[in-house]
Amino acid sequence: MAVSFKPIKPLLQTGTNSASRWFSYAGLGIGVLLLLCSIQMFINIQRLLKEGSIRKDGFDYISITKSVTNETMGTPDKNQFSDKDLAELRAQPFITGVSPLLPNDFRVTLGAGSVLAFNTDMFLETLDDDFIDTLPPTFKWQEGETNIPLILSSDFFEIYNVFAPGQGLPQISRETAMGIPVQITCEGNGVSEVFIGKIVAFSDRVNSVLVPKNFLVWSNRKFGKGQEVKASRIFVKTKDANSTELLQFVDSKKYSLNKDKTLLGRNKMVIQGIFSGLGIFGLLVVLLALMLFSFYLQLVIARSKDSLQLLLTLGYSPRWLSTKVSALFIPVYATVVIAAVLVTQLMQWSFHHFVMYDRPELSSVLHWSVLCVAFLLILLSVFTNNRLVRSLLYKLHNN
Amino acid sequence: MQLAISKLLPTYFEKSRSETSEIWGKDLLWKKGEMIKIVAPSGSGKSSLINFLYGMRKDYEGNIRYDQHDLDKTDAESLASLRKDHISIVFQDLRLFPHQTVQENLEIKRQLNPYHPKEKIAEMAERLGIGKKLPSLARTCSYGEQQRVAIIRALMQPFDFLLLDEPFSHLDNRNSELAMQLMLEETRARQASIVFADLERIEFFPFTSLYHL
Repeated sequence: MAVSFKPIKPLLQTGTNSASRWFSYAGLGIGVLLLLCSIQMFINIQRLLKEGSIRKDGFDYISITKSVTNETMGTPDKNQFSDKDLAELRAQPFITGVSPLLPNDFRVTLGAGSVLAFNTDMFLETLDDDFIDTLPPTFKWQEGETNIPLILSSDFFEIYNVFAPGQGLPQISRETAMGIPVQITCEGNGVSEVFIGKIVAFSDRVNSVLVPKNFLVWSNRKFGKGQEVKASRIFVKTKDANSTELLQFVDSKKYSLNKDKTLLGRNKMVIQGIFSGLGIFGLLVVLLALMLFSFYLQLVIARSKDSLQLLLTLGYSPRWLSTKVSALFIPVYATVVIAAVLVTQLMQWSFHHFVMYDRPELSSVLHWSVLCVAFLLILLSVFTNNRLVRSLLYKLHNN
Repeated sequence: MQLAISKLLPTYFEKSRSETSEIWGKDLLWKKGEMIKIVAPSGSGKSSLINFLYGMRKDYEGNIRYDQHDLDKTDAESLASLRKDHISIVFQDLRLFPHQTVQENLEIKRQLNPYHPKEKIAEMAERLGIGKKLPSLARTCSYGEQQRVAIIRALMQPFDFLLLDEPFSHLDNRNSELAMQLMLEETRARQASIVFADLERIEFFPFTSLYHL
């Protein structure tokens, strides 16, 4: 027959100093609530920001330049990316690929031929094909061809349509623009050659006028000054443009990057910092409450010392007794933590419903990890409690 | 089970005590079924001996063994199970739970390792004349009544050795004899031993060995 704890229970003076007991319950509840809410908000932020970035094939592409300061003005070497810089970027674990935007090293002018009275100096750049968001199969060139396919920045095209009326030029649609051949004149080394450029695509990602790489390599050799062409701007391919490691690396190197795409990431850093702080604070409150509770337990045991000692003298096992005594408080711990989980659930539902207007990327239900943490907290409380009671009872036994 | 005592002496006693004592400093072996009477004047270490034998105190030299268990080296759990299954005791200072009833005091011991059914409590209490006291709080009972409760409590469990430390100090002769009768019956039923320490010889205890402490 199992030994019953029922006749033993009245021997414990648990009703004493109830203020300290209620304070520790409240402390535990508040601590757990803070911790669980912080974890849930952390997860909410992750989910919200994952949806906010422009992605292709699961990757983000962002352009990076070196910040031009008063000190580095006029010294292009300092503002361009060296091979060492590129190697360092490639070595970072959060960067999947790097491609420099190589510019032309000779004079280029653009005219619309007889269709439009339009002529301007311009620039050409080239980028590895797999970094281009809109890559038609026609974006190819072979030596000897006079036609050059172009990929134009959507932003540049918009700007043209904005200033065109003021310059007496017609506004044109994308389709029309892609139908109009333009004259591209390359000059250098005393040679000049006219090519026919044709826009084959518009890019939302790259703010430039892109030509096939082999054309630029060939033309730089033919018209250029013969020096090595270095990029002032590079594109990086990354799993997450909002990753804090990437932003910290970029900041440490004093590079500047496309702010639009990383603004969310910067906010994320700040907000996650705040919630991490709150989470740590919650954890501290939990620890404080557990300490307060342990004082209360010590008091209960000290006040019930005579009875507990007599039970041990009569032959009660200290292990059995400590398990039973500490088990008395399991329902209390479980109730406090479950209450905190319910309040967190209510807050998450309210946040999703009233603040986020039921956005689909969030859920009204708590994330499983929050429930796991709550369960772990119950285990932690029970474990620390059991250890404490056991050590106190063994101490009593040895006295 | 047998109880072996070897060169036992409280650390606070002079060595010379072992010359005059029949227990201190001697090697003794008590087997199950023996009736041991220890007669000792006040201050000769009676309660110390009983406390040592029950594993309550360790301020002694020498050693005490219950079969293979050396009391000095027995851990808390093994000691608890020795007390639960093999050694019972009636303390001189009674040691009841004052805020529990007599019935509760007895039940707390009985449930630990029930040798008797619950009904036996009332039967024994009736026999020792405290049947009406079962529902009363222990602290409201007289010393004599409390002593009888302590005696019945010791009989609620199985044991090989029953340790008695002046168990009749608050009882008159008639009640002492009744209590002794009960203890003898219970001990014989278990084929166990009694180690009975008292100030003087008591006629109604049929000892097999007598020692002067």
